Amino acid sequence: MADSAPNASLQARHVAKSFVSGRLRSTVLHDLSLDINPGELTLISGPSGCGKSTLLAILSGLQRPDQGQVMALGEELSRLDQHALERFRLRHTGFVFQGFNLFPALNALEQVELPLSYLGLTPAEARRRATASLEEVGMGPRMQLRPSELSGGEKQRVAIARALAKEPGLLFADEPTSALDAANGQIVIDILHRIARSHGTTVLCVSHDPRLVGHADRVLSMEDGRILSDHVAAVPAPPAPPFSASMESSA
Amino acid sequence: MVALARKTLVYEWRRFLPAILAVCFAGLLQLLQAALVLGIFGSASVYITGSSAQLWVGYPGTQSVNLGRPIDEGVEMRLRMDPDVVRVEPFRWVDADWRGPKDTGGVSVFVSGIDPRPDGMMFAQALPPRLRALLNEPDAVIVDRADLENLGVSVGDTAAINGHRVRVVGVSNGLRALGGVNVVSSLDTARELDVDPQDSGRVTYFVASVRDPARSREVARRLSGAASFGSYAVWTKQEFARRSQMYWILDTGAGAGVLFLAGIVFLVGAVITSQTLVAAVVGSVREYATLNALGVGVGALRKVVLEQAFWVGALGLVGSATMGMLLLALARSRSVPVALYPMPTILCLGLTMLLAMVSGLAAMRSLRRADPASLLR
Ligand SMILES: Nc1ncnc2c1ncn2[C@@H]1O[C@H](COP(=O)(O)OP(=O)(O)OP(=O)(O)O)[C@@H](O)[C@H]1O
Ligand SMILES: [Mg+2]
Repeated sequence: MADSAPNASLQARHVAKSFVSGRLRSTVLHDLSLDINPGELTLISGPSGCGKSTLLAILSGLQRPDQGQVMALGEELSRLDQHALERFRLRHTGFVFQGFNLFPALNALEQVELPLSYLGLTPAEARRRATASLEEVGMGPRMQLRPSELSGGEKQRVAIARALAKEPGLLFADEPTSALDAANGQIVIDILHRIARSHGTTVLCVSHDPRLVGHADRVLSMEDGRILSDHVAAVPAPPAPPFSASMESSA
Repeated sequence: MVALARKTLVYEWRRFLPAILAVCFAGLLQLLQAALVLGIFGSASVYITGSSAQLWVGYPGTQSVNLGRPIDEGVEMRLRMDPDVVRVEPFRWVDADWRGPKDTGGVSVFVSGIDPRPDGMMFAQALPPRLRALLNEPDAVIVDRADLENLGVSVGDTAAINGHRVRVVGVSNGLRALGGVNVVSSLDTARELDVDPQDSGRVTYFVASVRDPARSREVARRLSGAASFGSYAVWTKQEFARRSQMYWILDTGAGAGVLFLAGIVFLVGAVITSQTLVAAVVGSVREYATLNALGVGVGALRKVVLEQAFWVGALGLVGSATMGMLLLALARSRSVPVALYPMPTILCLGLTMLLAMVSGLAAMRSLRRADPASLLR
């Protein structure tokens, strides 16, 4: 693939991964290399089962590749042991999943504060950051509500705030919109886009949702464990202003 | 720090309720069985605990107060010579056969021969001075109210002990014996009733009080040291009472029964508690996995589960203690023999807390399912 981009924050080199089920060995990623830049929303799209989530898990240090290396923020992940990998994730990576995975007992503010308390921040600083992140995703007025009192879109925004409050250099999102309707999906992708722009975060989003393609700075199409095309948006989609009426149909 | 363990416990209390109840009932059962066993076998040492003497002097190796053998009279001299001993009093134990006026057959009785002076140490707590005075009359005996029916007598009746005629002059309360019936008489009467030629007029115990009761242990050790006045052993009141109770608890097999039941209760409690905690962990496994993805270490997640187990244990224990107190008060008001001391209580409650923590450790293992890679599919 292309030579390493000078400012890439996330690099994969000759990454391969296969799974063995029974006697069958199926290769999910074939010798895959790519560079992802900070300050952009990069979207990986492709049909179901093509290996998008597996690639995301390897790039984020949740899974180890069979071959190849991953460099994240200048750190080679394969060199880190389990504990060091946890430390790395704690300091540098945020995650947003398809399911919101919020603790039913905690209100929005506590959901966001919880991981911060493990970062060694003072309670006051954790509170400040949590409040700021929730306000950034438009959840400021609903900070005291528990998941059972929030809509799906609101829950996903809390989950984004939880990832954002750590001020990570890398933000990974796996199908962040697929549990949401069009309007809420739009809001979520706009937030992710804005985070990339305003915080200089490397945002890597995986989705098979074609509606998101128009909102990404760069789209990588995947099929059968390979990157087929690398498309940089000619006119980068302008991130929508926060919570305006950007809810017109995006179909 | 967000108190995840506690907030989850409060918010999802229904989910944790079975575990809390399991801990509560396990603790309660341990407490009640300890109280019952101690209560029932406490009467094995009523001679010791119902008396005011701080020291007991008897035949070396005596395992229980009812197994005493005669000791040398010279021991009394040795005791009186000690500057820390302020009073000495003999106590005679006689195993005897009772024949009442009614056709009750032979009843095995334990005759306690005591000094009937109003300030006598033996049964100072169990027999008021008015009753003791009645024993001054030759051949007078006192029996416990609860035994009147067994003995087939009422106050004023005559009966025979070891073939010797005695008269019941009064009834006591709270002098029930284990494995027989207590009969109290004066030292002189007891001597008449003692037909065993081996005893040849010798008493079974000397009891003594010391100047400073707080130092009775030390005095007992010192007195035990010198054997120049014949063979005898000295125990403190607490030691001898414990010794007697333990003998009965072990001799009757009650100890093994208690341990067996405690083990079963522990096991059942731990199974229910750990299953409940496992279900709670599994129910939140995606949330735990998300925290781990965000870099919260597995160790920190384990701590959350253990903390949950701790709170389940603490809440259960509050329940056990409250219900235990109520039930013990009820039992006492119905004269069910129950007794509970600080050590057994702490032991029971500690065992129950251990149950909760062991369950927490078991539940911790199911955190292995919280693999963050499984959230990416
Ligand atoms: N832990 C695993 N064990 C065995 N096979 C696996 C495992 N994880 C993924 N696979 C297989 O790898 C392939 C790619 O899975 P992956 O989750 O990466 O797909 P995807 O592109 O994210 O699909 P979707 O869009 O449906 O989420 C699938 O065929 C899946 O069966
Ligand atoms: Mg997927």
